[in-house]
Amino acid sequence: MSDGSQAAADNSAAAAVGPILDVDGVTLQYKTKEHLITATYRVGFKVYPADRFVLLGPSGCGKSTLLKGVAGYLKPVEGNMRLKGVDIKEPGPDRVMVFQEFDQLLPWKTVKQNITFALMNGGRCKTQSEADDIAMEYIKKVKLDRFENTFPHMLSGGMKQRVAIARGMAMEPDVLLMDEPFAALDALTRLQMQEELLQLWEDTHFTVLFVTHSIEEALIVGSRILVLSPHPGQVKAELNAHHLNHANVGQPEFAALQQKIHNMLFADRILEDELVHEIVEAET
Amino acid sequence: MSNTPEIVVRSEFEADSIGNAGTADVARKLSFFERLSDMDSVRKFSILLVLMVAWEMYTRLSGVSELMLPKFSDTAVALFNSLVYDDLLVMIKNSLSILVTGYAIGLVIATLLTTAAIMTRFGSDALSTLTAMLNPLPAIALLPLALLWFGLGSASVVFTLLHSVIWPVALNAHTGFMSVSDTQRMVGRNYGLRGVSYVVKLLIPAAFPSILMGLKVGWAYAWRTLIAAELVFGGAIADTSGTQSGGLGWFVFSNQMELQIPAVFAGLFTVILVGVFVESIIFTNIESRTVRRWGMQS
Repeated sequence: MSDGSQAAADNSAAAAVGPILDVDGVTLQYKTKEHLITATYRVGFKVYPADRFVLLGPSGCGKSTLLKGVAGYLKPVEGNMRLKGVDIKEPGPDRVMVFQEFDQLLPWKTVKQNITFALMNGGRCKTQSEADDIAMEYIKKVKLDRFENTFPHMLSGGMKQRVAIARGMAMEPDVLLMDEPFAALDALTRLQMQEELLQLWEDTHFTVLFVTHSIEEALIVGSRILVLSPHPGQVKAELNAHHLNHANVGQPEFAALQQKIHNMLFADRILEDELVHEIVEAET
Repeated sequence: MSNTPEIVVRSEFEADSIGNAGTADVARKLSFFERLSDMDSVRKFSILLVLMVAWEMYTRLSGVSELMLPKFSDTAVALFNSLVYDDLLVMIKNSLSILVTGYAIGLVIATLLTTAAIMTRFGSDALSTLTAMLNPLPAIALLPLALLWFGLGSASVVFTLLHSVIWPVALNAHTGFMSVSDTQRMVGRNYGLRGVSYVVKLLIPAAFPSILMGLKVGWAYAWRTLIAAELVFGGAIADTSGTQSGGLGWFVFSNQMELQIPAVFAGLFTVILVGVFVESIIFTNIESRTVRRWGMQS
């Protein structure tokens, strides 16, 4: 496969359907108690409908910050972010976020209530019975029927994340934003969740923007991967991975791409180590 | 010869089929006694029983003066008589009505303070400074001043109760709101919650464990303050408020003046019983229906 043919395919697809999310030259900064940190510097990418778009990079590359920017929690100091051509100004139910933390489920609501709560307040449903039906449909999709009246603290980590995904999908957002949703799970559960996410995607081809620091997870889950370099986050490459999933793990093609990304990320590893060293020294 | 152990390589195997576990049922129902001893109330009540018996035995065997320590049985009889023939029930009602008034007004003021503390930095600073300053001051110490400002009567007691309610409630609620996790805040905003609905549907339930804790502490302080106030100034309050009877504290105090020692103990028991009723029946019930059910108990 040549890069030329890929680019051509990319461009023909781009001509047929416009991007759903357009991030253009975005610089994001946030404040800690002592520093003003530039998380990303002039990052740009386009997400098309049905993309499983992955933001991949080591810690400090601003991928989570970028996702928070798209969600509307953070305003860029430079550049702009448009969803369906409209500037992103504040958080809204058209971009639902699935977090890594388990406490994203409201502990005072049952599994079903967590979903209906989102549907009613997010303005997708007018009546409770309509919300109930949709909630049950998505609870079944993530295989949690029987648990709909359970409170979140009774569920395992993997089940909690499934509820969060069901809640996000039930909203049928333009883009589902996932911030390392499987990072806090054990390896076996993570594998299972990745497979289930792909199965769910097969059903409706929803658009996902997925953040991870695992190259393997990016290749399995993602259809297109944006590789970011750290301190501050800048675009290193945009790669295709739509032809890879669990079945390809360990195969030469998978391993080659994995190695390629690995080399990209760790080419400036020494530099990064020095930087971390400097920051640690500055803070102590 | 080295001491490092080497790996012992053994043959592999795979189980063909796993039969039923022969040992016991996978889930066994607990026996009646096991369930009984798991109940908090049963265990605690048995401790009370032991104490009662010990008291009765001590007073009967040691020959201690009835004026110093009456028998438990006498105290129980006095309690029964006061409830049925005397107006102890009316006194309980008087005490509780003052308490509820003070508690309710205190909650309103605490809510206003907390709102100010959440909305503005000045409010937050003011609340923490005021709490740090006034919380160590026992509410009862304000009673002389209150009597000066509001005169003899229930208004003075209500004023001191306010002091014992406002600070713990406001402080705990504020802490609760401040410690709502960023993730939950982001979730709320993600699903379009803004302004009042954000506070009512997200912040208040998320902070509820702390809020409830504040309500409990506030109630406990208020109850102690009320009894103390009635004990010291109860007679004066009883005389001017138009009722003949006064409150529970006054019941204890007046019986002590008349050397009705079993009735004094009966009064103290009533104070405990009302306190226990509210703390372990009402508040525990609210807890088990909310924070414990949600797994949010801190």
